[in-house]
Amino acid sequence: MKSKALKILLIAFFLLSACGKAGTTSPTATVEEKPVETEAVAEVTPDTDECVACHTDKERLIETAAPKVEAESESKGVG
Amino acid sequence: MAPLEPWEKAIVDLDAFSQTTHGKKTCVDCHGGVQSPDKATAHEGLIASPSADPEKYCGECHEEQVKTYPFALHSTQAGYWTTINTRSVPENHPALEEMFGNHCATCHTTCGECHVSQPKNVGGGLFTGHVFEKTPPMTRSCTACHGSRVGNEFLGKNEGFPGDVHFREARMNCVKCHEGAELHGSATDAASAETHRYADAEAPKCVTCHPTAAPGGDENPMHQSHGDTLSCQVCHSITYTSCDGCHVAISEKSGKPFFETQATYSTFLIGRNPNPTEERPYKYVPVRHVPVAPTSYQFYGENLLPNFNALPTWTYATPHNIQKNTPQNASCQSCHGSDGSFFLTADKVKAEELEANQSVIVGLVPPAVELFFRAPKTPASHADLASNACTACHTTGIRNAPVSPEDHAAYQDENCSGCHKLQE
Repeated sequence: MKSKALKILLIAFFLLSACGKAGTTSPTATVEEKPVETEAVAEVTPDTDECVACHTDKERLIETAAPKVEAESESKGVG
Repeated sequence: MAPLEPWEKAIVDLDAFSQTTHGKKTCVDCHGGVQSPDKATAHEGLIASPSADPEKYCGECHEEQVKTYPFALHSTQAGYWTTINTRSVPENHPALEEMFGNHCATCHTTCGECHVSQPKNVGGGLFTGHVFEKTPPMTRSCTACHGSRVGNEFLGKNEGFPGDVHFREARMNCVKCHEGAELHGSATDAASAETHRYADAEAPKCVTCHPTAAPGGDENPMHQSHGDTLSCQVCHSITYTSCDGCHVAISEKSGKPFFETQATYSTFLIGRNPNPTEERPYKYVPVRHVPVAPTSYQFYGENLLPNFNALPTWTYATPHNIQKNTPQNASCQSCHGSDGSFFLTADKVKAEELEANQSVIVGLVPPAVELFFRAPKTPASHADLASNACTACHTTGIRNAPVSPEDHAAYQDENCSGCHKLQE
């Protein structure tokens, strides 16, 4: 009888312990998400300024330039 | 000016730009947009020309210029409107405003279009990798717009005619004479804004740098006797460009605005100053035919310039091809007692434009110098006569006025002071 009660106590302790662990895992998961936010901020620092990166790169400007539309001017004479 | 490739227009010289004051700002500070390696995303909300809103983007540091520039001629283009309004009537303004927006408004200039990039109407493109230039580069900025007449004259690009002595011998650029204060304007409200480049004080003035050429400033008898009668360009400019009949329309094919100028030709003609003022008292000035015609804007409506004859088509001009020696200043006889080839006489004006040009047409060329020196002086007491109607007394003899000789029959009141100088 004593051993049965002991078993029940052990099972109850195990289950309570398991519940406690589950309660403490949630904040840990939140902390783990922070580095993701930090990475997003790093993308907009001047060191990797996308405007500068493109507008100082001749080849990239040539590649991304809008197709040149050779529209012949219909104006005649001196403007 | 050779056209720029698309990449040339947009490339930034980071090393040079980052050393400048403007380079301390980030691109997004002025141009907006989004940080992205994808062009379309990066250009979302892009402000290509921040200085189109000068107060917001330039005013923090350039307060003085931003206060006046919105009222300066390069910004308002008021000179065009002054002449268009004079030749038109209010009910035609909506059609003319549409015309102006399609064909003329592209010449409006922002701060950036002089100081960091070529003007939009010549294709745009950064000057020097986005470095701001305090002095706009002459051929990529000033003469990029003012090229076909002023630029070609100044730089000597009209075949057979030398460039302006100020460029040829001194390598002066435009802003040596046309300083920032003039270009940025001086008015701070619309009421006092400039209305036309020749409407206000003469600026720049030749005598600022050549004070001895002012009347009484040196012993040169030509300066002494002509200084207040002739603008400097009458004696010191050479052949320049005139144009006829500019017409504007929207292309049926492309839907884009275009123009056609009917004729371009070389002239040097001296006309009467249509509007002598205290600042511009000259009796004679060079005149240039401007490319306006009664039907210039007819694409936008019939008879949009019903008062076409209210202004001359041969207009007060200041050609930018100054020389010390010119054909007309080679001798007195070039003008005095000449066949009138240097003058805008009625036979050189199209019949349909005679009425419009009455205020500039020279009726009689100046008489021979001998006659000029023999002419009795006008009594000093006549200086106070308000009417300036000499013939009222001198053809009738009233008040014992000496009657003018028969060979003066063709002369009119405006001719008298040419020979009969006021006694001092």
